[in-house]
Amino acid sequence: MKKLLYGFLLVATASIFVVQAKAQVIVIANNSVKASDVSKNDLKDVFTGASTSLGGGTVVPILLKGGTANEEFLQAYIGKNDTAYRAGWRNLVFTGQATMPKSLDGDAAVVEFVAHNAGTIGYIGKASAHEGVKVLAIK
Amino acid sequence: MKRLLVGAIALALGAIPATAQSLEDLNIQIHGYATQGFLYSTNNNFFTTTSSNGSPAWTEAVMNVSARPIPKLRIAVQARYFLLGNYGNSVTIDFASADYKANDKFGVRVGKVKVPSGLFNETQDIDPSYMWALLPQSVYPIATRNSQLAAFGGVAYGALKLGPKLGRLDYRGWSGEVSVGANDGLFTNEIETGTTLPDGLNGVENGTALHWTLPLADNALMFGASFIRDNTFSNPLSVGYGKYTGTETIRPANEPDYFAKYEKDKLMVAFEDARYTGSALVVLPALGPYGISTTFIDNREWFGMASYKITGKLTAGAYNSQFFAHKHALGPLRYSKDWVVSGRYDFNQFLYAKAEEHFVAGTYEDYDTTLNALGLKPTSKLTILKMGINF
Repeated sequence: MKKLLYGFLLVATASIFVVQAKAQVIVIANNSVKASDVSKNDLKDVFTGASTSLGGGTVVPILLKGGTANEEFLQAYIGKNDTAYRAGWRNLVFTGQATMPKSLDGDAAVVEFVAHNAGTIGYIGKASAHEGVKVLAIK
Repeated sequence: MKRLLVGAIALALGAIPATAQSLEDLNIQIHGYATQGFLYSTNNNFFTTTSSNGSPAWTEAVMNVSARPIPKLRIAVQARYFLLGNYGNSVTIDFASADYKANDKFGVRVGKVKVPSGLFNETQDIDPSYMWALLPQSVYPIATRNSQLAAFGGVAYGALKLGPKLGRLDYRGWSGEVSVGANDGLFTNEIETGTTLPDGLNGVENGTALHWTLPLADNALMFGASFIRDNTFSNPLSVGYGKYTGTETIRPANEPDYFAKYEKDKLMVAFEDARYTGSALVVLPALGPYGISTTFIDNREWFGMASYKITGKLTAGAYNSQFFAHKHALGPLRYSKDWVVSGRYDFNQFLYAKAEEHFVAGTYEDYDTTLNALGLKPTSKLTILKMGINF
């Protein structure tokens, strides 16, 4: 019985961390982007190249090159690992349907770029500073 | 049609502001990939290679350059070096196009454009994009890829959101001139027996495609259909190693294609069913009434496939591919059936390897006469190993 209780506590604790990990990524946008929130499906469409618009305006996705925030975002909203995700974009590039989104090193670089480029939308760790951009709520 | 390409590119370049812009402003990108394959077969030689002795004669390299001078306009060109046995060994332009996307509901692409039919027509030559070393040859024969891949013309495209209960509908409509060179793989067996089309094959095709993505399981399920109407293709013909000349006219033909795909998390399942019906008229004036012949064509092709991502780097899958030439006489030459098991390993996002085994029955596809001079066995196995790098 004790082992069962111990095992349950372990699983419950791990589940809390998993839930918290998924909540550690935020979506940011340049202030020119009209939308203040975005659905999961619309977010996935923008970041997979299926759509180039949000809130009635054209948006351009900005990616992280790697890291925890990148993995969490892809897992939570795209459902692919980084290799498969970038392969999907390369499909579009090699068929002439898209250009590869810009990938930047680290949250600060993403915030800097999104803040100064109209229509851009990106994702960073929740704890990272994000002055000069707006945060889009995920609905 | 080809002049349309030049005009389109000139128009696109004119859209770039006259003031000097840096490469960064123009968002110029360069991407590419290269693959090297090895084939080994029992019984028959495949794809004009000496695969029965093992053959490394399968190399591809692609370079893609694109620019986005303004957010809604993209210009891209892609060049390819392709070698497979006696096919290719040349550099060609896959596509060169200007793409203006007004919004998600409407965009237009002009120039030499990929034909967006079926599940894989646009990506059949993009080896990094799928796990298979060879796509199902019933619908996507590598030897005749150039005749299906692209056209000089334009594509209109867009996506319509149908609401939370109906999902999304992607549409494509295109019209263009298909141009197949005189030495294309499409004509390999004819060339080997003294028949050539000195100007290749040229004609106009029109098509449309619809992809309906259902709002189930995170948009994992898609049903689609495409339809191509080939207009008359009429070109000079030479037979008997130049002894007689005339014309071959391929009358208007229909190519309906139905497909479905389910792809979620680690699992992918897909199915495609296509058909080609038409006829070809050959007229050799020197032979009088004996030089007039009509060949009727009714080709039926389909495949079913599934793959599963075993780990983050390893994917395994299998497919069954079948082709029937219904107007052919009964026998192995009338069909081609292929059971395939395959695996792909991604070392990282740039480097990958593929291994694949084919169990082939029937001799309609994949073989030429010169390298199978002793005749074709009705069944054969083909092992493929391939490495690829992309950036």
